[in-house]
Amino acid sequence: MAIGSVGVATAVPRPSFRARLSELLDRENWLGPIFVSPALILLLLLVAYPFCMALYFSVSNAFIGRPSNFVGIRNFVRLWESDAFRQTFQNAFVFCGAAVGAKIVLGISLALLLNQQLWFKRMIRGAVLLPWVIPTALSTLGWSWMFNSLYSVVNWTGLALGIMDPPGPNWLGQKYYAMTAVVIVNIWRGLPFFAITILAGLVAIPKELYEAAEADGAGPIARFWYVTLPLLKGVLAIVVLFSTIFTFSEFNIVYVLTHGGPMNSTHLFATLARQVGLETGRIGEGAAISLYLFPALMIVVWAQLRFVRKQAY
Amino acid sequence: MATITRRRFLTTTAGTGLAGILATGVPPARGQQREVSYLCWNNFAPLSDKKLSEIGQRFTKDTGIKIKIDHINAEQQPAKYASEVQTQAGHDLIEMRMHFPWLYEPQLVDVGDLVADLEKKYGKAISSAEETAKVRGTWRAVPQYHAMFVATYREDLFKKAGLKIPDTWEDLYVAGKELKKMGHPVGIPINQNLDSISTAGPILWSLGGMEVDKDGKTVRINSPQTAQLIEWYRKMFKDCMEPEVLSWDNASNNQSIQQGKAGWIHNPVSAYIVAKQMKLPTGDTINHHRTPGGPSGRHETDAPRHIGIWKFSKNVEPGKEFIRYLLGRPEVYNEYIMSGDAFNLPVYDKLQDHAVLKTDPKYAALKSEGVQYHAYGWPAPPSDRVQLITNSFILPIMLAKAVTGTSTKDAMAWAENEMKKIIAG
Repeated sequence: MAIGSVGVATAVPRPSFRARLSELLDRENWLGPIFVSPALILLLLLVAYPFCMALYFSVSNAFIGRPSNFVGIRNFVRLWESDAFRQTFQNAFVFCGAAVGAKIVLGISLALLLNQQLWFKRMIRGAVLLPWVIPTALSTLGWSWMFNSLYSVVNWTGLALGIMDPPGPNWLGQKYYAMTAVVIVNIWRGLPFFAITILAGLVAIPKELYEAAEADGAGPIARFWYVTLPLLKGVLAIVVLFSTIFTFSEFNIVYVLTHGGPMNSTHLFATLARQVGLETGRIGEGAAISLYLFPALMIVVWAQLRFVRKQAY
Repeated sequence: MATITRRRFLTTTAGTGLAGILATGVPPARGQQREVSYLCWNNFAPLSDKKLSEIGQRFTKDTGIKIKIDHINAEQQPAKYASEVQTQAGHDLIEMRMHFPWLYEPQLVDVGDLVADLEKKYGKAISSAEETAKVRGTWRAVPQYHAMFVATYREDLFKKAGLKIPDTWEDLYVAGKELKKMGHPVGIPINQNLDSISTAGPILWSLGGMEVDKDGKTVRINSPQTAQLIEWYRKMFKDCMEPEVLSWDNASNNQSIQQGKAGWIHNPVSAYIVAKQMKLPTGDTINHHRTPGGPSGRHETDAPRHIGIWKFSKNVEPGKEFIRYLLGRPEVYNEYIMSGDAFNLPVYDKLQDHAVLKTDPKYAALKSEGVQYHAYGWPAPPSDRVQLITNSFILPIMLAKAVTGTSTKDAMAWAENEMKKIIAG
């Protein structure tokens, strides 16, 4: 009979629950996910779930309160046959192009101004933020009174100064004026975001670079062109990226000012989606309208983020 | 004998209580307190909302059922209702305008029993209410009151210029030209709002035209009658109105006549009621006359409003009890109608000669003999698709296109195409 070694089990006391928990929390591969999970759950509930629902609706014939069926990309194809949608598509690019373009130019100008040594600098910087802080629906109501055909203070001022012919422009009743009005309000609302963010970028530019440029004989325009602008590229790219997305998905301003009229000339994706999806019950089509530009915007986001990364490294 | 600790006592009693609730399915008395919520619009006659809240408090006192009444703007109703249906959560009772019961049919409780009781008391519901609240033979909402469109005009201006009260839409053109010369143009909105449809519809009907035929399937907007409608709007826009009507919302025509600008508008009596209540100078000068007619008769847009109960509501019975209290008790219903100052008119046959019409001689036009009342989209049955045509504002957009340069043929073809797409689903 072969005799092998016989192991003797020694009784090791089992660590307490608290000790085991403490040990687990000391491991990075446990602690990391634990810290991230609340945010992840919130994102899943508040972003992923509604987004997936919207995706599902957009490929279904969902009608409020009724059973729905999968219809593939039919909604997306049929939308293009709708005159209102084609008009909206065009409006969205005009609106976004005009508003973002103007906000870039005005935002840089305002930031340069705010970067100067001004009296009451802090108060002025705070005041600039007001349009960004006031709830949009509320401030747009104020604008709607300013553009109102009966009580327009804009027209009243223009007529009083003699720069308008009576009765003044029909701001919200004519296609081009109505688009101009919604663009103006969007610029007014979005300008502080541009100005303050660009100002932060300006403040971070080392003064030595300007001194060196000045020593080399560079004037104000050359300093702006060869020092300021190149060093603002990263900030500008981020600001333009956010603003493009916000402006494409604008809702409040158009809804309060024009409801998409006159003749659908100011409808944007969000307002048309509401009209079709909620007011007329066709949730499937409404979701398709709101997601129409999603692939294109994804490409824009990818390209801009890539550009920003290149700038950073 | 084992002693009972406080902890053990609490655990045992809570466990037993919970088991009892789960077994019987009946919550304890505290949880059974009955409560019902009602979502309705901000009435254009604001005093009627105050009265509703007062009646609600009395209802709670008399029945022990709590009621919570919320108000939203009419324009927000479709979106709010859609979200309640999608989430299957929200209010128990909802105020429904015109065709809403057709749009939300599968989600609404059958309220035939309530309507039968009311009809026994007050006579049959008027035709526009029945057409819109009775969906395929089942009452999906209880008719509550209705507001009709009438002609609202500045009596002083008409007298000053010696103008005849318009009996036809052509007469209005004649009067309108003079009014515009006097600086008080006609104010008919041509924009993406319901008031624009409420006027364009009756004019189209008076010419013998329609958007969709009786079968609810055949689009009839591309017709000689629509061409006449467009021509009428075009000359009105040029000679009697100002371009501002292209930007107007539902409140703009009211504001225009109240602030002394417009000389004639087409609207329910709310413009006058508010002018009177706010003691505006125009309050004394505004009066009403029947909506003008045309070769095919005199037609009027009627806006019946109903109360529906969501199927997902857990308080259907308390909800029905509130409807019985508000509409089924003659003294309460009467009080409610009186508070609306003739904006909310009773919707049952025997109440048509209601005392509210005698409270002001300026309500005489509301008796409107010889006028046919219809909801949007008539003569098509008020289906969800007809409602979709309304909500897409095709009629006013067609008119706006036509008065701003699009040819009559192209404007009609555009409207026909849009309507056909909706009807095809």
